[in-house]
Amino acid sequence: MKKLPIAIVILLTMLLPALLYAQDRTISGVITDAFSNPLPNVNVLIAQSTRGTVTDANGKFSITIPTNAKIVFSSAGFKTQTISVGSNQSTIDIKMEEDFARLDEVVVTGLSTTVKRRNLANAVGTISNKQLNGVAPAQTFDAALNGKVTGAYINANSGAPGGGLSVKLRGVTSIFGNTQPLYVVDGVYMDNSATSAGLNAVTAAAAGGNASNQDNPSSRIADLRAEDIENIEILKGASAAAIYGSRAAAGVIIITTKRGKQGKTKISFTQDLGFVKASKLLGVRQFTAETAASLSSNPAQSAALKQQFLDAQAAGKLYDYEKEVYGNTGFTRNSVLSMTGGNDKTSFYFSTSQKNEDGIVKNTGYRNTSLRLNVDHKISDNVKIGISTNYVNSSADRGLTGNDNNGVTYSISLSSTPNFIELHPDKFGVYPNNPFSASNVLQTIALSTNNEDVNRFTTGFNLDATLQKGEKSTTKFIGRGGVDFYSLVTTALFPRELQSQQVSKGTSIQGLSKSLNTNYILSLVNTFNLNDKLGFTTSAGYTQERGDFNNVLDVATQVAPGQSNVDQGGALTAQQFRNKFQNEGIFAQEEASIIDAINLTAGVRFDRSTNNGDDAKFYAYPKGGVSVNLTKLNWVSDALFNNLKLRAAYGQSANFPAFGSKFTTLVAANIIGTQGSLVNIQGGDPNIKPERQTEFEAGIDFSVLKSKLNFEITFYNKKIYDFLLLATVPPSSGFSTKFINAGDLRNQGVEIGMNAQPVSTKDIKWTSSVNFWFNRSNVTRLNIPPVILGSFGTSLGTFQIEQGKSATQFVGTDAPSHTGLVVLGNQEPKFQMNTFNEITFKNNFTLRFLIHWKYKGDNVNLTNLLNDFGGTSADYDKDDDKNGVPNGPQRIGQFLGGSARGFVENAGYLRFREIGLYYTFTKLPTRYIRGLRVGASLNNFFTITKYSGYDPEVSNFGTGFSTGIDVDPFPASKRAMFSVTVDF
Amino acid sequence: MKRVINYYIILTFIVAASLSSCKKEYNNLNSPTVEDYLKNASQAQLDGLVSGALSGMRNNEGIYLDAVGVIGREMYRFSNADPRYVTELLGSGSTTLNNTGFYITNPWASRYRTVKNCNVLIEAATNSTLVSDAQKKGYQGFSKTLKAYELLMNLNLTYSNGIRVDVADPNNLGPILSYDASITAIGALLDEAKTDLSSATVSFTLTPGFNGFADAAGLVKFNRALAARVDVYRKQWTTALTDLGQSFYDISGDINMGVSEQFSTGSGDQLNPAYFDQNANGEVRLAHPSYVANIAAGDDRIGKASLRNSAASNNGLSSDRDVWVYHSSTAPIPIIRNEELILIYAEAKIQTNSLPEAVVALNKIRSTHNLPAYAGAVTAAALIDEMLNQRRYSLFYEGHRWIDMRRYDKLASLPIDRAGDDIWSAMPIPSTEN
Repeated sequence: MKKLPIAIVILLTMLLPALLYAQDRTISGVITDAFSNPLPNVNVLIAQSTRGTVTDANGKFSITIPTNAKIVFSSAGFKTQTISVGSNQSTIDIKMEEDFARLDEVVVTGLSTTVKRRNLANAVGTISNKQLNGVAPAQTFDAALNGKVTGAYINANSGAPGGGLSVKLRGVTSIFGNTQPLYVVDGVYMDNSATSAGLNAVTAAAAGGNASNQDNPSSRIADLRAEDIENIEILKGASAAAIYGSRAAAGVIIITTKRGKQGKTKISFTQDLGFVKASKLLGVRQFTAETAASLSSNPAQSAALKQQFLDAQAAGKLYDYEKEVYGNTGFTRNSVLSMTGGNDKTSFYFSTSQKNEDGIVKNTGYRNTSLRLNVDHKISDNVKIGISTNYVNSSADRGLTGNDNNGVTYSISLSSTPNFIELHPDKFGVYPNNPFSASNVLQTIALSTNNEDVNRFTTGFNLDATLQKGEKSTTKFIGRGGVDFYSLVTTALFPRELQSQQVSKGTSIQGLSKSLNTNYILSLVNTFNLNDKLGFTTSAGYTQERGDFNNVLDVATQVAPGQSNVDQGGALTAQQFRNKFQNEGIFAQEEASIIDAINLTAGVRFDRSTNNGDDAKFYAYPKGGVSVNLTKLNWVSDALFNNLKLRAAYGQSANFPAFGSKFTTLVAANIIGTQGSLVNIQGGDPNIKPERQTEFEAGIDFSVLKSKLNFEITFYNKKIYDFLLLATVPPSSGFSTKFINAGDLRNQGVEIGMNAQPVSTKDIKWTSSVNFWFNRSNVTRLNIPPVILGSFGTSLGTFQIEQGKSATQFVGTDAPSHTGLVVLGNQEPKFQMNTFNEITFKNNFTLRFLIHWKYKGDNVNLTNLLNDFGGTSADYDKDDDKNGVPNGPQRIGQFLGGSARGFVENAGYLRFREIGLYYTFTKLPTRYIRGLRVGASLNNFFTITKYSGYDPEVSNFGTGFSTGIDVDPFPASKRAMFSVTVDF
Repeated sequence: MKRVINYYIILTFIVAASLSSCKKEYNNLNSPTVEDYLKNASQAQLDGLVSGALSGMRNNEGIYLDAVGVIGREMYRFSNADPRYVTELLGSGSTTLNNTGFYITNPWASRYRTVKNCNVLIEAATNSTLVSDAQKKGYQGFSKTLKAYELLMNLNLTYSNGIRVDVADPNNLGPILSYDASITAIGALLDEAKTDLSSATVSFTLTPGFNGFADAAGLVKFNRALAARVDVYRKQWTTALTDLGQSFYDISGDINMGVSEQFSTGSGDQLNPAYFDQNANGEVRLAHPSYVANIAAGDDRIGKASLRNSAASNNGLSSDRDVWVYHSSTAPIPIIRNEELILIYAEAKIQTNSLPEAVVALNKIRSTHNLPAYAGAVTAAALIDEMLNQRRYSLFYEGHRWIDMRRYDKLASLPIDRAGDDIWSAMPIPSTEN
């Protein structure tokens, strides 16, 4: 059954009529920019055909053309030019004009159709390779997105090696459903799940106030290599992404990797070397004999502590354990070898790379090895195929940080460890027990393991066949799809020597997951140009996506000394989680272009999914859009506006409830070797509905000052109906939670983008883009009383979903000044801004930088509270408000007095995310070297913030609705790197 | 040409349609559902629910014992991760018990989850055509006994704030009853269970914690032991004596005889959450200093508070003795045992003015623990104090002290460690019940 579509494809391919061209002469030329610098890699294409070439390093090209042909010259960042070649011409030299507004950039509008940005009805964000990876490379792909997406709230969960970021496009899309966008790489739907390593068996993090997994695993999209990516397009909501169906509710991120280019084989090698350091340390309390004594109220104990301090002081053994743990400098290196080339039939892009980075904590780090081969081949002038293959091995040693109820994570252990006790091993290598904590942090770092190891294969195919070609109408068959498979092994080892393993006597947690995602799209696309003034693009097709995930987690305790296999344990518990789905969609889309000024789009997707209660029922997701270019209509004068476009779009999407929301499951609850079944704490509801989303966006795009200043202004209104809420139900029902369709939610926001070229001379060129955006959410309807969720309860500050209020508000108690709950803040930033700049001097020096400003937006910071309770906060003994009560006891007193106000803290920041300075040699030592570039870069090096925790970007609960809860995270780090690139 | 295009489009949709015909529904791959079990459960499925209920009884047992122990000034619980053990539970400063606090929400929800499992078991057994009527009675009587016990555990926490007894329909919960109405309902439920069990066949396997009580007759004895506890809580002294007579009460028997919760290292099983190793740091349970200060010389129950290598302190509290009641991570936690029944007997005898018989029972406890015979005044008041004192040491960290002092209105005589600390009489109903 599965083979049928391929058989059809072959059949269709054989039926294709082959078209022949009269080939009568060769034309050549040089392409340069406005300053006569040669431009390599410009696409030179014969209009209305699939034949073409690209310019070489000197901007030269040569192509055979038929009579009366038109040639189209295009290159990313430049305006496309179409030139009619005179019948006697044999050379043609072109100066390309820069396209700051990127109006000629081709943007995806359907599953198999594209449109130029100038005609687009949506604000589709794009990130080029230069922006993604060309400034100051981040450790992982997800981190490389940070600060670069207008309309997004991107937040790193922690500084642990291997990534783990939350990406929310245009506000909170769902509270309990999927909040993360769908990632599509070369047509392959990528799995982006975050799989827990089962650390809870050791940390018991979920045993306290919040039962969520707090393991902070990385998200699997982090495996991608930014170096391989050519371009990213971001469909932020249903108005642009409806055609992707139910998986598009949180937006779609479409990633295109680099492809081969016709011409001489080009080999490029880049070596980066650098270091990574903690961005900030909080400092530790400097004890005195008196404060050491005050750690115990027992007189004998108190005297002993005082003596211990004095002894340590006399021996010079007062330590800064925070610095010992987090203060290391990690060495980082990254090597990338890439090769591109091809002839008129086949072209390829190959890259291999390895990244190896140490973390700021000993025995932590990240390694990523990747191989990619992308091949494009023209079977005939009418049939093209493209294959993308990628293998990635990534391994992250993530350390053990964050919330914990057993006193075993580095951070929770540090929070109660004073500076005068000895944690270092003796001459036999035996670590002393930490009398102030359940673990000795130095021992935990030295002996325990928390590793995620991924082997991932991704293969995509793309078939593009012209079925019919006439004067006015062209019909293509486009087939696209692929496989994304990975196996993930999580290994968490806590040997019996550890102080924290006194009860369990050695714990080994082994997780094995495999994830298989397959998808394909079969579509027909017809373009019909009635005349110059009226054109239609019709597309229709079928898509299918399947997923199959299987995770087995074994927890062995009482593991034999020095062993890690779970069968070496004295006790073993196992868990398994499986997830399987199949989504199908039938879509049709019609796009009309009227005098190249008015563009109309209408489409619909019918979607069904095995995730639905009724898996046979099709849900319809319509979308529509209109854009009117007033300049092209000559309604506004060219003098002021070089381009003026009005646009509006509307679309729908949905998020389906998870299977468990319909039925009440029975979970395993065994006792003394007997199998037991216990009702789940989550009750089922047979009447649960999907949450539906509608999004309307409207905008105006215009260019002034000879297109040197371009604006894109967008307003959107995204409504989520019947949003799913895992509502707390009276626990006397036997259930703690139950999914309900709780109400409606709205996100409104504005995105303003500006890009400009303030300076453009022969020697200095400065391009700059500035973006500004904000989102405001509101719970417009709630059927149930306000719901507290996403944190640890009202006495510590928590989210509360409440009608008429922002979905991201923080509430808490604030005694004695208030009774009951008061609003203490809001996690959502007031606005965000970024600016990306590139300054080129004499074609040698290039300075690029990205600054990101998040204005306000609060976190719940519990790190300080835990340090206060442990008596180790750096400012514990200071008295900031000079009221005679030191800060530590004062803050504890405020908490004990019933106020959570102190925990909700402004987490705004101004961050120099990336700064890179590169020098390109124009005189090269030998002719074998075609290019040489050196550079130095800084990533997240400077942050201006009032936030008192390690970093304003934090999320104890990972990538869900709840971000910004700060519970002793892995500190964020800053990176510096030196880089050399040689092209052969 | 147009016709050809149409042909292709039709073909594509035929492909689409034919693909859809091989579509399948993926059932829940990970676990069975209650809805399935309610249709026509097999004996193995019903037995699974029995084991599930026994397993669920243990959820958050550690927090229950800690909370009751801390409020009842039996012990301290220090935790680096959660300060509320030394603040809200002890009422330090102006802190009070919070109706979102884990110490009430977690045990409360876990107990009702077991109640739910019992209700599912009752309904599934009733609907099943695959077991006999006598077997059904067995499942029902067992479920009701367990249910009554679980409700009592919650009522112990919320006391005068009451509990919800009628919770069969999650969408239509009964009212929260007063303390008196709640405890009366619990007593009635135990009686109902006893009736069921007396005509029952027990075909399910219980844990070794039920050794000696695993058949219908044994479960009746267990049921009556619980009933006797409920009786003294209700001050129904003569009924208590009657129920003791039908229980496994044995004044000359092993004081540890009884029914217990069991733990193991098996897959999907739990470890004893009330066990911490001696001399642990950070996460510790310490005997309240008064436990040692007030213990009689020679009392072997000093072993329940073992001396630490060094004292542990937190927030102005300090103790040099660990709670040492459960000696391994698989040690059982008693549900009810003979030592308590002997003390219930003594209590009921005091209250029915049969003081000499009460003294005999108290002396049984004293001699077992290496103490001389009772030499104090033989008055009801003095003997009540002696009985409470013996309960304090015999049932240390088994979840009784706070409840005992409360029912005798003696909470005010519990020690206060820090100025401003409070002794609570009841936990609030969790906010999520409102």
